[in-house]
Amino acid sequence: MEKIYERKFFRFFCGFLSFSFLIIFWELSDNQGNNPVTQVLPPPSQFLPVLFESDFKIGLGSQSATIYQSITITLIRVLSGMSLAFVGSIIVGLLLSLSKWSELFFVPILSVIAPIAPIAWVPIALVIFGIGNLTAIFIVFMGVFFTLTIATIAEIKRVPTNYIFTAANLGGSKFKIWKSVIIPSILPGVFTLLRLNFIAAWMAVLAAEMTGLRDGLGTVVMTGRNLFNSNLILLGICIIGITGFAVDRILLFIQNKFFWWSTN
Amino acid sequence: MKSNLKCINVSKYFRNNNGFKNQEYVLKDIKLEIKENDFITILGPSGTGKSTLLKLLGGFLKPSTGTIYFNNKKLEKITPLISMVFQEHTLFPWLNVEENVAFGFDLKGLRRKDYRDKVNESLEQVGLFNSKNLFPHQLSGGMKQRVSLARSLAVDSEILLLDEPFSSLDIQLRRNLQKLLLSIKKDYKKSMVLVTHNVEEAILLGSKLILLEGKPAIIKNQMDVSCSSYSDRYSQEFLALQKDLETKIEFN
Ligand SMILES: Nc1ncnc2c1ncn2[C@@H]1O[C@H](COP(=O)(O)OP(=O)(O)OP(=O)(O)O)[C@@H](O)[C@H]1O
Ligand SMILES: [Mg+2]
Repeated sequence: MEKIYERKFFRFFCGFLSFSFLIIFWELSDNQGNNPVTQVLPPPSQFLPVLFESDFKIGLGSQSATIYQSITITLIRVLSGMSLAFVGSIIVGLLLSLSKWSELFFVPILSVIAPIAPIAWVPIALVIFGIGNLTAIFIVFMGVFFTLTIATIAEIKRVPTNYIFTAANLGGSKFKIWKSVIIPSILPGVFTLLRLNFIAAWMAVLAAEMTGLRDGLGTVVMTGRNLFNSNLILLGICIIGITGFAVDRILLFIQNKFFWWSTN
Repeated sequence: MKSNLKCINVSKYFRNNNGFKNQEYVLKDIKLEIKENDFITILGPSGTGKSTLLKLLGGFLKPSTGTIYFNNKKLEKITPLISMVFQEHTLFPWLNVEENVAFGFDLKGLRRKDYRDKVNESLEQVGLFNSKNLFPHQLSGGMKQRVSLARSLAVDSEILLLDEPFSSLDIQLRRNLQKLLLSIKKDYKKSMVLVTHNVEEAILLGSKLILLEGKPAIIKNQMDVSCSSYSDRYSQEFLALQKDLETKIEFN
């Protein structure tokens, strides 16, 4: 029989319970505003209402945006950067695998660029693309692309020889083998790595929004700082946590639904 | 189909990881001809080079020395005319049973309605019609072997190479599939090469039996087993030969 702690509902319930305790504890410790900790970390009952103020906008003048717009813009940035990196790295990885030579010459370069922290690209991106979406997308892309390309090349090497033999034996051309055997073989592995790199991409875009850009979730937190508004800071932090968690779950869902197989 | 596959003095060694030649030959001086309507069975201890020989015959590996001719031309690359059922690891995990069997047709760009009957027939033959929607990870070892077999049967080839295709099957299924192979050979005049650990199977199915042995492996023994007394597993001659071969081979 399935053990109780393996049940989905029970696991969900435990998570829910621990969060409830955290929030209750947090609320109770806010002793009529006398607790110095809760002056810096106001409890949810204080920062959540900010969300519902009808014409609430963050920022000044033409740069002001609602919370929802901030969430959307950050999500669009991180998801487009990751999608581009995913597709790009598979294409480049496949091309580099076509010849032993290209791999010999290019993989060392990739291996040196891959460990560079995405945030290090911010100054360069600002110079090239200015302040805007392209900068953010570029940073996410740079943070993920090189690692994924190296992973793609490694995954291609790991495709079982018998798969390729079998497909050739069934009359598959070179192109068909790439399309119908090699790509499906590597997709799950590369997508898993994409998902693991999501946190890095997410942090990169937030850091970019805090340092260089003027909109998005990172900017909400920074605006809170500039206005000494701890409600705003806390609200931003919570939304960042919850949205990041949600996206990770969505990626996990996509993986289980579309890239569930394994070749070993 | 007048097909002919010929090995002339074929030897094979592998390179080790550093790319240097591994002096140890796996196969040495193999001379072998597979003529139309032949059923060749290969016996030999584990690790002798049976799979290696089969891969050479299918064009998957290149001989280190010697030449293989297919229909009087040098065998240079893998061809659908020589169909192989590998020993392991050949079902595509992202495709279900039916799609795996249909893979060859899909590669050719045929439409499903044009090949569905053929695929269903192959699945019926190996007794997996009712499992056609399952994925490889949901199958037992023996079921996987049968899917691989069905996939090779579905395509029209002149020669069928089989690498221990029945090793995980129970005796009843094994016998059914042995009958299937014999009837396919008869109806379609396909030549077959079957590698097996099972002496009884080798005598029963084969028209020619080859014993591979040694390091490097050579053809130790080559005998004609097409005579009708070898198709009755309880006949005197059959049992005598079986005993003789079993004592010759020390299986690990
Ligand atoms: N790609 C390879 N590289 C190096 N050595 C290999 C390779 N393939 C096979 N060999 C070696 O060749 C020898 C024969 O292997 P092979 O798989 O042909 O044996 P087999 O007779 O099919 O054994 P089994 O009955 O266990 O399937 C083994 O010693 C193996 O280590
Ligand atoms: Mg073998």
